Amino acid sequence: MRRPLEIKAEEASVRSVVSLTSALESLSSMQIAKTKNKVLISNQFFDEVWNIYKQIRVDVLFNFGRTPDETPIDKELLILITAKGGLSGDIDQRLIKQFLLRYDESNNDVLVIGHHGALKLKQAHIDATYYFDLPEHDYINVDPLMDIIKRYAKSRIFYQDYVSLSQQQIRDVDLSEVVSSKGRVADLDTLDDNKITEKTYIFEPSSYAVAAYLENSILRLTISQFIYDSRLAQVASRFKAMSAAKERSVDTANELHTEYNRAKRSQVDTRLKESLAGLKKIRAGGD
Amino acid sequence: MTKPDATHSETATNESSSTSPGAMAVKIYAPFKVYFEGEATSISAVNETGPFDILPKHHNFLCMLVPCTIRIQTSSGVKDVKINRALMHVKADRVVVFVDV
Repeated sequence: MRRPLEIKAEEASVRSVVSLTSALESLSSMQIAKTKNKVLISNQFFDEVWNIYKQIRVDVLFNFGRTPDETPIDKELLILITAKGGLSGDIDQRLIKQFLLRYDESNNDVLVIGHHGALKLKQAHIDATYYFDLPEHDYINVDPLMDIIKRYAKSRIFYQDYVSLSQQQIRDVDLSEVVSSKGRVADLDTLDDNKITEKTYIFEPSSYAVAAYLENSILRLTISQFIYDSRLAQVASRFKAMSAAKERSVDTANELHTEYNRAKRSQVDTRLKESLAGLKKIRAGGD
Repeated sequence: MTKPDATHSETATNESSSTSPGAMAVKIYAPFKVYFEGEATSISAVNETGPFDILPKHHNFLCMLVPCTIRIQTSSGVKDVKINRALMHVKADRVVVFVDV
């Protein structure tokens, strides 16, 4: 059996892990509230722009804002949105796993957002074609990303979706499909007075220019929305990981405390036995 | 992309509005920031065609704004909002400017 002092020292170190994970858990909890609120606010904005786009867009062939004479790269660009660092639970690992199911070196180029994802890809011996840091600020400039996406015939985005505090899902969607699907809904929905046409609206500079601009805007907003969703899922995953780590360290600390009590008791018992044996010997010698 | 219906109608589609007479409900906002929200009597901005004003009872209007300062005239004074890129939507005395889209 280990000495009580050793156990006591280990318990103290585990208690400090409890404090650390507890602090990180609280921090993640605050970040969730903050990020969730921002996602809700931004969704309201996105919905309103979507609504206009739905009414004006009558064609389902989304072409990433490319002009007809531009020839895209005949590959599918796979975009991964991951965390900027560790301590985000297993969410990035799950995303990489899902990505690997689809990845084919000859048919895909890879764009990674977030340092953690880039590291995980390196571990899987895959070199990303493009890399971007995960944006931390509210305003996300996705223009450099758009320039790359426009060059490809197809683009698929792997992102993390916040379902609840305890559940975050990995999703992958075809970018043009996401945008086109909204257009398809519009075909049916816009057969009423809300339809935005040259009959009912003035467009400046022209209806084509506004529609093309909106198509770009929608792509920009869609990507931004995926990044916001991923950031929320990542903080939720971190919260989950920190809660689990805290629970485990509390259990370990309690087990160590019990072990310490046992060792201490055993030490007292041994001393008592030794004292009694000594006392017996003294008594035996006295007779 | 299919061109929207080519026939142009001069009739404005004015739906019921909750604004005061002679005023418009205006909202200028970005995903995380509301620059202005309230009633206004006129709005001035700039698009590719040039500077323009929006007054109450304006025809339905959709345009892209170029970098400019939007001037909002309210009953309590003038407010200026500087923008880089935006989309303006006017319908039934409601003006919404989506900044940074």
